[in-house]
Amino acid sequence: MAMLEIKDISIRFGGVQALDDVTFSLKHGEILGLIGPNGAGKTTLFNCVSGVLKPNNGTITYEGQNLAGLKTDARAHLGIARTFQNLQLFGSMTVLENLMVPLDAFAKRGMVGDAFKLPRARYEERKAEEHARAILHFLGLSEHTETIAGSLSVGLQRRVELGRALCLQPKLLLLDEPAAGLDAAETAELAALLPEIRARFGITMLLVDHDMALVMKACDYIYVLDFGKLISEGPPQRVSSDPLVVKAYLGEAEEVA
Amino acid sequence: MNAINARRISVVAGIVLAVAIPAFMADYYRSLAALSAIAAILILSLNVLTGFVGQISFCQYTFAGLGAMTVGALSGAQGHHWSFWISMPLGVLFAALGGFLVGIPALRLSGLFLAILTLGVALGADRYLFANGTWNSFTGGVNPRTPSRPTLFGYHLTSQYSFYLFALAAFLLVAFLVWNLRVGKTGRVLRAIRESEVAASTMGLNLIKWKLAAFTVSAGIAGLAGGLLAVQIGSVSPASYDFLHSITVAAVVVVAGVGSLASAAVGGIFIWWLPELLRHTGVNAQFFQLILGLLLVVQLVIAPQGGVVKLEHDLKRVFGLGRRGQDLELAEVL
Repeated sequence: MAMLEIKDISIRFGGVQALDDVTFSLKHGEILGLIGPNGAGKTTLFNCVSGVLKPNNGTITYEGQNLAGLKTDARAHLGIARTFQNLQLFGSMTVLENLMVPLDAFAKRGMVGDAFKLPRARYEERKAEEHARAILHFLGLSEHTETIAGSLSVGLQRRVELGRALCLQPKLLLLDEPAAGLDAAETAELAALLPEIRARFGITMLLVDHDMALVMKACDYIYVLDFGKLISEGPPQRVSSDPLVVKAYLGEAEEVA
Repeated sequence: MNAINARRISVVAGIVLAVAIPAFMADYYRSLAALSAIAAILILSLNVLTGFVGQISFCQYTFAGLGAMTVGALSGAQGHHWSFWISMPLGVLFAALGGFLVGIPALRLSGLFLAILTLGVALGADRYLFANGTWNSFTGGVNPRTPSRPTLFGYHLTSQYSFYLFALAAFLLVAFLVWNLRVGKTGRVLRAIRESEVAASTMGLNLIKWKLAAFTVSAGIAGLAGGLLAVQIGSVSPASYDFLHSITVAAVVVVAGVGSLASAAVGGIFIWWLPELLRHTGVNAQFFQLILGLLLVVQLVIAPQGGVVKLEHDLKRVFGLGRRGQDLELAEVL
Protein backbone atom coordinates (compact mmCIF):
# COMPACT_ATOMS: atom_id res chain seq x y z
CA MET A 1 0.00 0.00 0.00
CA ALA A 2 1.25 3.42 -0.87
CA MET A 3 1.80 5.84 1.97
CA LEU A 4 0.31 8.84 0.22
CA GLU A 5 -2.07 8.64 -2.71
CA ILE A 6 -2.99 11.80 -4.59
CA LYS A 7 -5.92 11.11 -6.89
CA ASP A 8 -7.37 13.50 -9.49
CA ILE A 9 -6.59 16.61 -7.46
CA SER A 10 -7.78 19.84 -9.09
CA ILE A 11 -7.88 23.35 -7.75
CA ARG A 12 -8.73 26.66 -9.42
CA PHE A 13 -7.90 30.18 -8.28
CA GLY A 14 -10.18 32.41 -10.34
CA GLY A 15 -9.08 31.91 -13.93
CA VAL A 16 -5.98 29.91 -13.08
CA GLN A 17 -6.13 26.13 -13.06
CA ALA A 18 -3.39 25.63 -10.45
CA LEU A 19 -3.72 21.85 -10.37
CA ASP A 20 -5.44 19.81 -13.07
CA ASP A 21 -6.29 16.18 -12.27
CA VAL A 22 -2.96 15.43 -10.65
CA THR A 23 -2.52 11.79 -9.66
CA PHE A 24 0.50 10.11 -8.16
CA SER A 25 1.51 8.09 -5.14
CA LEU A 26 4.32 7.89 -2.68
CA LYS A 27 5.69 4.62 -1.32
CA HIS A 28 6.95 4.09 2.22
CA GLY A 29 10.60 5.03 2.59
CA GLU A 30 10.75 6.82 -0.74
CA ILE A 31 12.23 10.24 -1.43
CA LEU A 32 10.00 11.48 -4.18
CA GLY A 33 10.83 14.58 -6.18
CA LEU A 34 8.24 16.88 -7.67
CA ILE A 35 9.71 19.35 -10.11
CA GLY A 36 8.42 21.92 -12.51
CA PRO A 37 8.92 25.54 -13.45
CA ASN A 38 7.68 28.40 -11.30
CA GLY A 39 3.90 28.48 -11.10
CA ALA A 40 3.55 24.83 -12.02
CA GLY A 41 1.46 24.19 -8.88
CA LYS A 42 4.03 22.53 -6.65
CA THR A 43 3.41 24.60 -3.53
CA THR A 44 -0.35 24.46 -4.13
CA LEU A 45 -0.16 20.68 -4.05
CA PHE A 46 1.75 20.86 -0.75
CA ASN A 47 -0.87 23.15 0.71
CA CYS A 48 -3.55 20.63 -0.27
CA VAL A 49 -1.70 17.78 1.44
CA SER A 50 -0.96 19.71 4.62
CA GLY A 51 -4.51 21.06 4.78
CA VAL A 52 -3.83 24.76 4.21
CA LEU A 53 -5.89 24.66 0.99
CA LYS A 54 -8.92 22.60 0.06
CA PRO A 55 -8.85 21.10 -3.43
CA ASN A 56 -11.98 21.57 -5.60
CA ASN A 57 -12.07 17.85 -6.26
CA GLY A 58 -10.00 14.72 -5.93
CA THR A 59 -8.91 12.76 -2.89
CA ILE A 60 -5.76 12.58 -0.82
CA THR A 61 -5.28 9.33 1.07
CA TYR A 62 -2.60 8.98 3.71
CA GLU A 63 -1.91 5.56 5.25
CA GLY A 64 -5.28 4.40 3.95
CA GLN A 65 -7.11 7.35 5.53
CA ASN A 66 -8.90 10.02 3.51
CA LEU A 67 -7.55 13.39 4.64
CA ALA A 68 -10.59 15.38 3.48
CA GLY A 69 -12.13 17.28 6.38
CA LEU A 70 -9.06 16.96 8.59
CA LYS A 71 -7.60 20.27 9.70
CA THR A 72 -3.94 21.18 9.45
CA ASP A 73 -3.13 20.42 13.08
CA ALA A 74 -4.93 17.06 12.91
CA ARG A 75 -2.83 16.10 9.88
CA ALA A 76 0.30 16.99 11.86
CA HIS A 77 -0.85 14.60 14.58
CA LEU A 78 -1.09 11.86 11.92
CA GLY A 79 2.62 12.35 11.25
CA ILE A 80 2.71 14.78 8.32
CA ALA A 81 5.29 17.54 8.70
CA ARG A 82 6.40 20.21 6.26
CA THR A 83 8.78 23.06 5.65
CA PHE A 84 7.91 26.26 3.84
CA GLN A 85 9.21 27.83 0.66
CA ASN A 86 8.82 31.29 2.15
CA LEU A 87 10.40 30.62 5.54
CA GLN A 88 7.87 30.41 8.35
CA LEU A 89 10.06 30.20 11.42
CA PHE A 90 8.93 31.73 14.69
CA GLY A 91 11.31 34.61 14.03
CA SER A 92 11.54 36.30 17.42
CA MET A 93 12.02 33.02 19.28
CA THR A 94 15.28 31.18 19.81
CA VAL A 95 16.24 28.21 17.65
CA LEU A 96 15.71 25.87 20.60
CA GLU A 97 12.24 27.30 21.26
CA ASN A 98 11.36 26.86 17.58
CA LEU A 99 12.20 23.18 17.79
CA MET A 100 10.32 22.73 21.06
CA VAL A 101 7.00 23.99 19.65
CA PRO A 102 6.04 20.77 17.77
CA LEU A 103 7.07 18.77 20.84
CA ASP A 104 4.82 21.05 22.91
CA ALA A 105 1.96 20.42 20.49
CA PHE A 106 2.24 16.69 21.21
CA ALA A 107 2.78 17.09 24.97
CA LYS A 108 -0.21 16.43 27.20
CA ARG A 109 0.09 19.13 29.85
CA GLY A 110 -2.22 22.14 29.86
CA MET A 111 -2.01 25.63 31.28
CA VAL A 112 -2.59 24.51 34.88
CA GLY A 113 0.40 22.19 34.84
CA ASP A 114 2.47 24.99 33.34
CA ALA A 115 1.32 27.70 35.75
CA PHE A 116 2.04 25.62 38.85
CA LYS A 117 5.08 23.88 37.35
CA LEU A 118 3.66 20.47 38.24
CA PRO A 119 6.10 17.52 38.12
CA ARG A 120 4.67 16.35 34.81
CA ALA A 121 5.22 19.79 33.25
CA ARG A 122 8.82 19.87 34.44
CA TYR A 123 9.41 16.35 33.13
CA GLU A 124 7.86 17.05 29.72
CA GLU A 125 9.73 20.34 29.47
CA ARG A 126 13.07 18.67 30.15
CA LYS A 127 12.31 15.82 27.76
CA ALA A 128 11.32 18.22 24.97
CA GLU A 129 14.45 20.28 25.48
CA GLU A 130 16.68 17.20 25.35
CA HIS A 131 14.93 15.97 22.22
CA ALA A 132 15.28 19.36 20.50
CA ARG A 133 18.96 19.58 21.47
CA ALA A 134 19.59 16.12 20.03
CA ILE A 135 18.03 17.14 16.71
CA LEU A 136 20.06 20.37 16.70
CA HIS A 137 23.19 18.33 17.30
CA PHE A 138 22.29 15.96 14.45
CA LEU A 139 21.85 18.92 12.09
CA GLY A 140 25.04 20.61 13.26
CA LEU A 141 23.11 23.55 14.69
CA SER A 142 24.21 23.22 18.32
CA GLU A 143 26.14 26.48 18.33
CA HIS A 144 22.96 28.35 17.33
CA THR A 145 20.77 26.83 20.07
CA GLU A 146 20.11 30.14 21.84
CA THR A 147 20.22 32.35 18.73
CA ILE A 148 17.12 34.29 17.70
CA ALA A 149 15.89 32.31 14.69
CA GLY A 150 15.04 35.36 12.58
CA SER A 151 18.61 36.63 12.79
CA LEU A 152 20.13 33.56 11.09
CA SER A 153 21.11 33.38 7.41
CA VAL A 154 18.58 31.91 4.99
CA GLY A 155 20.59 28.68 4.71
CA LEU A 156 20.59 28.19 8.48
CA GLN A 157 16.94 29.16 8.76
CA ARG A 158 16.07 26.44 6.23
CA ARG A 159 18.01 23.98 8.33
CA VAL A 160 16.20 25.10 11.50
CA GLU A 161 12.88 24.61 9.70
CA LEU A 162 13.99 21.10 8.79
CA GLY A 163 14.91 20.50 12.45
CA ARG A 164 11.55 21.82 13.60
CA ALA A 165 9.76 19.48 11.18
CA LEU A 166 11.86 16.56 12.45
CA CYS A 167 10.88 17.38 16.05
CA LEU A 168 7.31 16.57 15.05
CA GLN A 169 8.60 13.00 14.64
CA PRO A 170 6.82 12.69 11.31
CA LYS A 171 6.33 9.68 9.10
CA LEU A 172 5.97 11.87 6.03
CA LEU A 173 7.99 15.01 5.48
CA LEU A 174 7.04 17.54 2.81
CA LEU A 175 9.96 19.74 1.80
CA ASP A 176 8.95 22.88 -0.08
CA GLU A 177 11.95 24.19 -2.04
CA PRO A 178 14.50 23.47 0.70
CA ALA A 179 17.34 24.61 -1.58
CA ALA A 180 15.90 28.04 -2.41
CA GLY A 181 18.41 30.66 -1.33
CA LEU A 182 21.17 28.13 -0.69
CA ASP A 183 24.55 28.30 -2.44
CA ALA A 184 25.98 25.32 -4.33
CA ALA A 185 27.93 23.97 -1.35
CA GLU A 186 24.92 24.20 0.98
CA THR A 187 22.74 22.51 -1.64
CA ALA A 188 25.19 19.63 -1.98
CA GLU A 189 25.23 19.26 1.81
CA LEU A 190 21.43 19.17 1.85
CA ALA A 191 21.34 16.55 -0.93
CA ALA A 192 23.55 14.33 1.21
CA LEU A 193 21.60 15.07 4.38
CA LEU A 194 18.17 13.98 3.12
CA PRO A 195 19.03 10.28 2.57
CA GLU A 196 20.81 10.40 5.94
CA ILE A 197 17.61 11.63 7.61
CA ARG A 198 15.68 8.84 5.92
CA ALA A 199 18.17 6.25 7.13
CA ARG A 200 18.19 7.55 10.67
CA PHE A 201 14.54 8.45 11.29
CA GLY A 202 12.81 6.28 8.68
CA ILE A 203 10.97 9.23 7.21
CA THR A 204 9.36 9.21 3.77
CA MET A 205 9.86 12.46 1.89
CA LEU A 206 8.18 14.44 -0.82
CA LEU A 207 10.55 17.05 -2.16
CA VAL A 208 9.54 20.00 -4.29
CA ASP A 209 12.26 22.06 -5.88
CA HIS A 210 13.53 23.35 -9.15
CA ASP A 211 17.13 22.97 -8.15
CA MET A 212 18.02 20.05 -10.43
CA ALA A 213 21.29 19.37 -8.62
CA LEU A 214 19.38 18.61 -5.43
CA VAL A 215 16.51 16.68 -6.96
CA MET A 216 18.73 14.51 -9.19
CA LYS A 217 20.99 13.60 -6.31
CA ALA A 218 18.53 13.11 -3.46
CA CYS A 219 15.42 11.61 -5.09
CA ASP A 220 14.59 8.02 -6.00
CA TYR A 221 11.81 8.93 -8.38
CA ILE A 222 10.63 12.15 -9.96
CA TYR A 223 7.34 13.57 -11.17
CA VAL A 224 7.34 16.61 -13.44
CA LEU A 225 4.54 19.14 -13.13
CA ASP A 226 3.82 21.89 -15.64
CA PHE A 227 0.84 24.26 -15.61
CA GLY A 228 -0.94 22.06 -13.09
CA LYS A 229 -0.51 18.83 -15.09
CA LEU A 230 1.89 15.93 -14.66
CA ILE A 231 3.87 15.67 -17.87
CA SER A 232 6.50 13.06 -17.02
CA GLU A 233 7.71 10.65 -14.37
CA GLY A 234 10.54 8.22 -13.75
CA PRO A 235 13.92 7.83 -12.10
CA PRO A 236 16.16 10.94 -12.26
CA GLN A 237 18.22 9.88 -15.29
CA ARG A 238 15.17 9.12 -17.42
CA VAL A 239 13.30 12.29 -16.51
CA SER A 240 16.25 14.54 -17.22
CA SER A 241 16.44 13.15 -20.75
CA ASP A 242 12.70 13.20 -21.47
CA PRO A 243 12.23 15.61 -24.40
CA LEU A 244 8.88 16.84 -23.02
CA VAL A 245 10.56 17.81 -19.77
CA VAL A 246 13.46 19.43 -21.51
CA LYS A 247 11.01 21.46 -23.56
CA ALA A 248 8.78 22.47 -20.65
CA TYR A 249 11.36 23.06 -18.07
CA LEU A 250 15.01 22.32 -18.55
CA GLY A 251 15.16 23.90 -21.97
CA GLU A 252 13.72 27.18 -20.79
CA ALA A 253 15.24 27.51 -17.37
CA GLU A 254 18.48 29.38 -17.07
CA GLU A 255 19.82 27.50 -14.08
CA VAL A 256 20.02 24.15 -15.90
CA ALA A 257 22.24 21.82 -14.00
CA MET B 1 26.47 37.97 38.85
CA ASN B 2 24.43 36.12 36.26
CA ALA B 3 21.05 37.00 34.85
CA ILE B 4 19.07 34.66 37.10
CA ASN B 5 20.67 35.97 40.27
CA ALA B 6 20.16 39.54 39.13
CA ARG B 7 16.50 38.83 38.55
CA ARG B 8 16.10 37.18 41.95
CA ILE B 9 17.79 40.06 43.74
CA SER B 10 15.68 42.69 41.97
CA VAL B 11 12.45 40.77 42.62
CA VAL B 12 13.25 40.37 46.35
CA ALA B 13 14.29 44.02 46.63
CA GLY B 14 11.09 45.07 44.86
CA ILE B 15 8.94 43.02 47.24
CA VAL B 16 10.73 44.39 50.33
CA LEU B 17 10.22 47.96 49.12
CA ALA B 18 6.59 47.27 48.19
CA VAL B 19 5.90 45.94 51.70
CA ALA B 20 7.92 48.54 53.59
CA ILE B 21 7.15 51.86 51.92
CA PRO B 22 3.34 51.86 52.39
CA ALA B 23 3.91 51.00 56.10
CA PHE B 24 4.99 54.63 56.52
CA MET B 25 2.13 56.10 54.51
CA ALA B 26 -1.14 57.66 55.56
CA ASP B 27 -4.19 55.45 55.04
CA TYR B 28 -5.28 57.38 51.96
CA TYR B 29 -2.01 56.61 50.21
CA ARG B 30 -2.16 53.01 51.36
CA SER B 31 -5.48 52.70 49.56
CA LEU B 32 -3.82 54.16 46.44
CA ALA B 33 -1.09 51.56 46.83
CA ALA B 34 -3.72 48.80 46.99
CA LEU B 35 -5.41 50.22 43.89
CA SER B 36 -2.02 50.19 42.16
CA ALA B 37 -1.50 46.52 43.00
CA ILE B 38 -4.96 45.75 41.59
CA ALA B 39 -4.27 47.76 38.43
CA ALA B 40 -1.01 45.82 38.06
CA ILE B 41 -3.05 42.58 38.07
CA LEU B 42 -5.18 44.01 35.26
CA ILE B 43 -2.03 44.84 33.32
CA LEU B 44 -0.87 41.25 33.82
CA SER B 45 -4.19 40.09 32.39
CA LEU B 46 -3.42 42.02 29.21
CA ASN B 47 0.09 40.56 29.24
CA VAL B 48 -1.34 37.10 28.64
CA LEU B 49 -3.25 38.34 25.62
CA THR B 50 -0.94 40.98 24.14
CA GLY B 51 2.43 39.77 25.30
CA PHE B 52 1.91 36.12 24.48
CA VAL B 53 -0.42 35.76 21.55
CA GLY B 54 -0.24 39.34 20.21
CA GLN B 55 -3.93 40.11 20.62
CA ILE B 56 -5.29 43.39 21.96
CA SER B 57 -8.31 43.96 24.17
CA PHE B 58 -10.14 47.19 24.92
CA CYS B 59 -12.62 45.51 27.25
CA GLN B 60 -10.50 44.31 30.18
CA TYR B 61 -12.51 46.47 32.61
CA THR B 62 -15.69 44.84 31.33
CA PHE B 63 -14.26 41.49 32.43
CA ALA B 64 -13.17 43.15 35.69
CA GLY B 65 -16.72 44.43 36.06
CA LEU B 66 -18.11 40.89 35.69
CA GLY B 67 -15.82 39.77 38.51
CA ALA B 68 -16.65 42.80 40.66
CA MET B 69 -20.40 42.50 40.22
CA THR B 70 -20.34 38.77 40.94
CA VAL B 71 -18.54 39.50 44.20
CA GLY B 72 -20.93 42.38 44.91
CA ALA B 73 -24.08 40.39 44.19
CA LEU B 74 -22.99 37.30 46.09
CA SER B 75 -21.18 38.73 49.10
CA GLY B 76 -22.62 42.27 49.30
CA ALA B 77 -24.75 43.48 52.19
CA GLN B 78 -27.89 43.54 50.01
CA GLY B 79 -26.84 40.30 48.29
CA HIS B 80 -26.51 36.74 49.45
CA HIS B 81 -23.94 37.36 52.22
CA TRP B 82 -21.72 34.64 50.79
CA SER B 83 -18.10 34.49 51.80
CA PHE B 84 -15.58 36.41 49.71
CA TRP B 85 -13.68 33.15 49.34
CA ILE B 86 -16.61 31.61 47.47
CA SER B 87 -17.84 34.63 45.55
CA MET B 88 -14.36 35.70 44.35
CA PRO B 89 -13.58 32.40 42.57
CA LEU B 90 -17.07 32.47 41.06
CA GLY B 91 -16.37 36.01 39.86
CA VAL B 92 -13.14 34.82 38.23
CA LEU B 93 -15.03 31.99 36.52
CA PHE B 94 -17.80 34.31 35.33
CA ALA B 95 -15.29 36.80 33.90
CA ALA B 96 -13.43 33.90 32.27
CA LEU B 97 -16.69 32.77 30.67
CA GLY B 98 -17.12 36.33 29.34
CA GLY B 99 -13.61 36.18 27.92
CA PHE B 100 -14.34 32.83 26.29
CA LEU B 101 -17.47 34.24 24.61
CA VAL B 102 -15.67 37.37 23.38
CA GLY B 103 -12.82 35.12 22.23
CA ILE B 104 -15.06 33.25 19.77
CA PRO B 105 -15.73 36.16 17.38
CA ALA B 106 -12.18 37.35 18.05
CA LEU B 107 -10.71 34.13 16.63
CA ARG B 108 -10.42 35.42 13.11
CA LEU B 109 -9.58 39.00 14.01
CA SER B 110 -6.40 40.75 14.99
CA GLY B 111 -4.99 44.26 15.17
CA LEU B 112 -7.39 47.09 14.45
CA PHE B 113 -10.43 44.86 13.87
CA LEU B 114 -9.96 43.13 17.20
CA ALA B 115 -9.56 46.54 18.85
CA ILE B 116 -12.89 47.62 17.37
CA LEU B 117 -14.63 44.39 18.40
CA THR B 118 -13.44 44.59 22.01
CA LEU B 119 -14.25 48.29 22.19
CA GLY B 120 -17.74 47.40 20.98
CA VAL B 121 -18.01 44.79 23.73
CA ALA B 122 -16.96 47.35 26.33
CA LEU B 123 -19.45 49.94 25.08
CA GLY B 124 -22.19 47.34 24.87
CA ALA B 125 -21.56 46.33 28.46
CA ASP B 126 -21.56 49.99 29.60
CA ARG B 127 -24.74 50.91 27.78
CA TYR B 128 -26.70 47.70 28.16
CA LEU B 129 -25.42 44.91 30.42
CA PHE B 130 -24.21 47.13 33.28
CA ALA B 131 -26.90 49.80 32.81
CA ASN B 132 -29.66 50.30 35.36
CA GLY B 133 -32.68 48.15 34.61
CA THR B 134 -31.02 45.44 32.50
CA TRP B 135 -29.90 43.04 35.17
CA ASN B 136 -30.25 44.75 38.52
CA SER B 137 -30.01 41.56 40.55
CA PHE B 138 -26.45 41.32 39.22
CA THR B 139 -25.34 44.94 38.89
CA GLY B 140 -27.30 46.39 41.79
CA GLY B 141 -28.91 49.01 39.54
CA VAL B 142 -29.10 52.42 41.20
CA ASN B 143 -28.16 50.97 44.59
CA PRO B 144 -24.58 49.83 44.21
CA ARG B 145 -23.62 46.63 46.03
CA THR B 146 -21.38 47.07 49.02
CA PRO B 147 -19.23 43.96 49.43
CA SER B 148 -17.20 43.82 52.62
CA ARG B 149 -13.52 43.03 53.04
CA PRO B 150 -12.53 39.38 53.30
CA THR B 151 -11.39 37.60 56.43
CA LEU B 152 -8.08 35.78 56.24
CA PHE B 153 -7.07 33.29 58.98
CA GLY B 154 -9.59 34.92 61.30
CA TYR B 155 -8.23 38.38 60.58
CA HIS B 156 -10.68 40.82 58.98
CA LEU B 157 -8.76 42.83 56.38
CA THR B 158 -10.42 46.15 57.19
CA SER B 159 -7.29 48.25 57.71
CA GLN B 160 -5.92 49.81 54.55
CA TYR B 161 -2.47 48.39 55.13
CA SER B 162 -3.65 44.81 55.68
CA PHE B 163 -5.77 44.93 52.55
CA TYR B 164 -2.89 46.46 50.61
CA LEU B 165 -0.69 43.53 51.63
CA PHE B 166 -3.46 41.17 50.54
CA ALA B 167 -3.72 42.86 47.13
CA LEU B 168 0.07 42.83 46.80
CA ALA B 169 0.11 39.10 47.58
CA ALA B 170 -2.57 38.55 44.93
CA PHE B 171 -0.46 40.48 42.41
CA LEU B 172 2.65 38.47 43.27
CA LEU B 173 0.75 35.19 43.00
CA VAL B 174 -0.69 36.12 39.58
CA ALA B 175 2.73 37.41 38.49
CA PHE B 176 4.30 34.09 39.53
CA LEU B 177 1.72 32.07 37.61
CA VAL B 178 1.92 34.30 34.52
CA TRP B 179 5.70 34.07 34.61
CA ASN B 180 5.52 30.27 34.74
CA LEU B 181 3.13 30.27 31.79
CA ARG B 182 5.43 32.60 29.90
CA VAL B 183 8.56 30.50 30.26
CA GLY B 184 6.74 27.18 29.81
CA LYS B 185 4.90 25.47 27.03
CA THR B 186 1.98 27.93 27.08
CA GLY B 187 4.13 30.99 26.44
CA ARG B 188 6.09 29.23 23.73
CA VAL B 189 2.98 27.97 21.96
CA LEU B 190 1.19 31.32 22.08
CA ARG B 191 4.24 33.21 20.86
CA ALA B 192 4.58 30.69 18.04
CA ILE B 193 0.97 31.38 17.04
CA ARG B 194 1.71 35.11 17.14
CA GLU B 195 4.73 34.67 14.86
CA SER B 196 3.19 32.41 12.22
CA GLU B 197 -0.28 30.91 12.43
CA VAL B 198 0.26 28.69 9.39
CA ALA B 199 3.49 27.24 10.79
CA ALA B 200 1.97 26.81 14.26
CA SER B 201 -0.98 24.82 12.94
CA THR B 202 1.30 22.79 10.67
CA MET B 203 3.27 21.87 13.80
CA GLY B 204 0.11 20.37 15.26
CA LEU B 205 -1.21 23.28 17.34
CA ASN B 206 -4.95 23.82 17.52
CA LEU B 207 -5.15 27.59 17.01
CA ILE B 208 -8.77 27.87 18.12
CA LYS B 209 -8.14 26.09 21.40
CA TRP B 210 -5.06 28.13 22.30
CA LYS B 211 -6.46 31.53 21.32
CA LEU B 212 -9.63 30.88 23.27
CA ALA B 213 -7.56 29.71 26.23
CA ALA B 214 -5.56 32.96 26.14
CA PHE B 215 -8.74 35.05 26.05
CA THR B 216 -10.32 33.01 28.84
CA VAL B 217 -7.32 33.16 31.17
CA SER B 218 -6.82 36.86 30.47
CA ALA B 219 -10.44 37.64 31.30
CA GLY B 220 -10.29 35.45 34.42
CA ILE B 221 -7.31 37.43 35.73
CA ALA B 222 -9.14 40.67 34.94
CA GLY B 223 -12.13 39.31 36.88
CA LEU B 224 -9.89 38.73 39.90
CA ALA B 225 -8.70 42.33 39.71
CA GLY B 226 -12.31 43.48 39.46
CA GLY B 227 -13.37 41.52 42.53
CA LEU B 228 -10.46 42.91 44.54
CA LEU B 229 -11.33 46.42 43.34
CA ALA B 230 -14.91 45.92 44.51
CA VAL B 231 -13.90 45.01 48.07
CA GLN B 232 -11.14 47.66 48.15
CA ILE B 233 -13.59 50.43 47.25
CA GLY B 234 -16.39 48.79 49.21
CA SER B 235 -18.99 49.42 46.54
CA VAL B 236 -19.54 48.32 42.96
CA SER B 237 -20.42 51.13 40.59
CA PRO B 238 -20.65 50.36 36.84
CA ALA B 239 -18.88 53.64 36.11
CA SER B 240 -15.68 52.18 37.61
CA TYR B 241 -15.64 49.53 34.88
CA ASP B 242 -16.43 51.56 31.78
CA PHE B 243 -14.63 51.55 28.44
CA LEU B 244 -12.50 54.60 29.28
CA HIS B 245 -10.82 52.62 32.04
CA SER B 246 -10.25 49.77 29.58
CA ILE B 247 -8.62 52.10 27.06
CA THR B 248 -6.45 53.67 29.75
CA VAL B 249 -5.13 50.33 30.95
CA ALA B 250 -4.48 49.20 27.35
CA ALA B 251 -2.59 52.45 26.68
CA VAL B 252 -0.52 52.00 29.85
CA VAL B 253 0.35 48.47 28.76
CA VAL B 254 1.55 49.79 25.42
CA VAL B 255 3.58 52.61 27.02
CA ALA B 256 5.19 50.36 29.64
CA GLY B 257 5.61 47.31 27.43
CA VAL B 258 4.55 43.69 27.76
CA GLY B 259 6.34 40.53 28.74
CA SER B 260 7.85 42.03 31.86
CA LEU B 261 6.58 41.88 35.43
CA ALA B 262 8.34 45.15 36.22
CA SER B 263 6.33 46.89 33.54
CA ALA B 264 3.12 45.63 35.18
CA ALA B 265 4.21 46.99 38.57
CA VAL B 266 5.36 50.33 37.16
CA GLY B 267 2.18 50.60 35.07
CA GLY B 268 0.00 49.95 38.12
CA ILE B 269 1.79 52.65 40.11
CA PHE B 270 1.64 55.06 37.19
CA ILE B 271 -2.14 54.72 36.71
CA TRP B 272 -2.97 55.80 40.27
CA TRP B 273 -0.07 57.98 41.34
CA LEU B 274 0.33 60.29 38.35
CA PRO B 275 -3.22 61.72 38.68
CA GLU B 276 -2.51 62.11 42.40
CA LEU B 277 0.73 63.93 41.65
CA LEU B 278 -1.10 66.20 39.23
CA ARG B 279 -3.67 67.08 41.90
CA HIS B 280 -0.89 68.05 44.30
CA THR B 281 0.81 70.27 41.77
CA GLY B 282 -2.45 72.09 41.16
CA VAL B 283 -2.89 70.66 37.67
CA ASN B 284 -6.27 69.23 36.83
CA ALA B 285 -6.04 65.42 37.10
CA GLN B 286 -7.88 65.19 33.80
CA PHE B 287 -4.57 66.06 32.17
CA PHE B 288 -3.60 62.49 32.99
CA GLN B 289 -5.21 61.21 29.79
CA LEU B 290 -3.41 63.90 27.78
CA ILE B 291 -0.04 63.02 29.32
CA LEU B 292 -0.70 59.35 28.69
CA GLY B 293 -1.45 60.14 25.05
CA LEU B 294 1.77 62.14 24.70
CA LEU B 295 3.77 59.36 26.35
CA LEU B 296 2.21 56.91 23.91
CA VAL B 297 3.47 58.96 20.96
CA VAL B 298 6.94 59.42 22.46
CA GLN B 299 7.20 55.74 23.37
CA LEU B 300 6.16 54.53 19.92
CA VAL B 301 8.98 56.59 18.46
CA ILE B 302 11.84 55.96 20.88
CA ALA B 303 10.95 52.63 22.50
CA PRO B 304 8.47 50.64 20.40
CA GLN B 305 8.82 47.63 22.68
CA GLY B 306 7.61 49.72 25.66
CA GLY B 307 9.37 52.16 27.96
CA VAL B 308 9.85 49.95 31.02
CA VAL B 309 10.82 46.94 28.92
CA LYS B 310 13.42 49.03 27.07
CA LEU B 311 14.80 50.39 30.34
CA GLU B 312 15.09 46.85 31.71
CA HIS B 313 17.02 45.68 28.68
CA ASP B 314 19.25 48.75 28.68
CA LEU B 315 20.08 48.03 32.32
CA LYS B 316 20.78 44.40 31.50
CA ARG B 317 23.07 45.46 28.70
CA VAL B 318 24.91 47.90 30.96
CA PHE B 319 25.49 45.09 33.46
CA GLY B 320 26.38 42.65 30.68
CA LEU B 321 23.52 40.25 31.33
CA GLY B 322 22.16 38.18 28.48
CA ARG B 323 18.55 37.88 27.56
CA ARG B 324 16.41 35.42 25.72
CA GLY B 325 13.91 36.25 23.04
CA GLN B 326 13.21 39.48 21.29
CA ASP B 327 10.85 42.22 22.35
CA LEU B 328 7.48 42.43 20.76
CA GLU B 329 7.00 45.76 19.09
CA LEU B 330 3.52 46.74 20.12
CA ALA B 331 3.14 48.98 17.13
CA GLU B 332 2.97 45.75 15.14
CA VAL B 333 0.06 44.47 17.20
CA LEU B 334 -2.16 47.44 16.47
